[in-house]
Amino acid sequence: MIGWLRHQKHALISALRRLLAQPLATLLTTLAMGVAISLPGGLYLMLGTVNRLAGDLPAQPEISLFLDPQITAPQEQTIAARMKQADIAEARHVPKEQALSALSTSQGLTDITAGLADNPLPDAWVVRPHAATREGLTRVADELGKLPGVAETHLDSQWADRLQAALAIGRTGVWLLAGLFGFALVAISGNAIRAQVLARRDEILVSRLIGATDRHIRRPFLYLGALQGLLGGLAAGGVLAAAGWVLHAPVAHLAGLYGSTFHLLPPAGIEIAIVLGLTTLFGWLGAWIAVARTLRQVEAVR
Amino acid sequence: MISFSQVSKRYPGGHEALAGVDFAIEKGELVFLTGHSGAGKSTLLKLIAAIERPTSGVVSVSGQNISRLSQRAIPYLRRNIGLVFQDHKLLFDRNVIENVVLPLDIAGIERRESLKRARAVLDKVGLLNREKSNPVSLSGGEQQRLCIARALVSRPALLLADEPTGNLDAGYAADIMAMFRDFHQVGTTLVIATHDERAIAAVGGRALHLDHGKVQHGKVIEGAA
Repeated sequence: MIGWLRHQKHALISALRRLLAQPLATLLTTLAMGVAISLPGGLYLMLGTVNRLAGDLPAQPEISLFLDPQITAPQEQTIAARMKQADIAEARHVPKEQALSALSTSQGLTDITAGLADNPLPDAWVVRPHAATREGLTRVADELGKLPGVAETHLDSQWADRLQAALAIGRTGVWLLAGLFGFALVAISGNAIRAQVLARRDEILVSRLIGATDRHIRRPFLYLGALQGLLGGLAAGGVLAAAGWVLHAPVAHLAGLYGSTFHLLPPAGIEIAIVLGLTTLFGWLGAWIAVARTLRQVEAVR
Repeated sequence: MISFSQVSKRYPGGHEALAGVDFAIEKGELVFLTGHSGAGKSTLLKLIAAIERPTSGVVSVSGQNISRLSQRAIPYLRRNIGLVFQDHKLLFDRNVIENVVLPLDIAGIERRESLKRARAVLDKVGLLNREKSNPVSLSGGEQQRLCIARALVSRPALLLADEPTGNLDAGYAADIMAMFRDFHQVGTTLVIATHDERAIAAVGGRALHLDHGKVQHGKVIEGAA
């Protein structure tokens, strides 16, 4: 056990020395990895931000009922009665005068509304049904739309559904990109380690002759790959932090224009840890593949 | 310690380096392998260290059948064998003491202990004052002594040397042979391939003469000292 730990420590130190001995090669590999990882990483963060933005909007879908301007009083009573039925959680009557004044004050359209001769808005009901599923909502909306005196219904959840669908595509895209760049990471690491193995040809052959096991020869290269992967992950963090810093002011400006305090979200600690763990793993994996292949090649030429 | 029975080695391409070789070497013996170049001396040493495998016959070292040894067991066999090469096989990316420490690192010996042992063996071969030098800056004789130090640092029971004095002038060669005699006296088994008759005469021991892949059973030469 102590011997095993000593071997690990020895291999780790040897790997660190090799990294430091070739600062330029290390830096270039690190940057290549960092850029590769920062692409899916950045997209992931952006989606998280948009998702949060979508989450701030009313979660409960609402149905707007716009009434016919020529509606009769009995029709109005029928609709009001329908609103008291069990499948409706909440229903609010919005008379057209209230809608117009809300429009002019909250949306800042006073100039325009003041110029209108008469109120173009219809009376409306804003309805929140108990149903939460898409089918349930549609059914309620259809049913309400068929009531006499209702000119039009509008299901407010539609755009939210579309946004969610777009986000789902985005998330799939992140996984696809992450998979692709994971491959890239393995390839970059493998290539760097292959060069290292070839450069250490003499040492490998001599070590073989004086009793080194396969594992002993492989170990420093595996550590090297893992360390390189970790450095790549840290570099990606650096790239994303820099991008966040550059984007901070423009995003704040845009949010200000919408009267929002919206800002970019930094990744959570656990997310950073997972990414670093994965890049380390992929670096190690690339090293494993490269060492297995290259050692055979090195030892064949004896 | 070592026994060959009906050992043949044929290289791909048809060259037969050894043809039906039989001999045994006892523990603690000092044996010279002689013969012209191409007679099979190097091949014989490579078979003992499991660097090559015999085409037929049985090579046994310390009771282990080398031809049956699994790939995984070979490193552990080699840790008990010190190898001295004519071309030294030193690593020029590290200093003298790091070259000597290499076998101990491989065996997983603690660093401080390794350095202590490396200094002791460097002292024995007269290179202690060069421990921080790069092997490139050493003379041919010094490089050979460094190679011997690396072979001895793990205190192997068996030392194999392939033309250890091949590229050296007479003075250095005598030094190195005297060193081998000292190791022989402390009980190490040595097999030295050489065509340096003077060196053999100076040290003494059994000589196995190889001729065209066959052993001409040798005579015991009395050492001068």
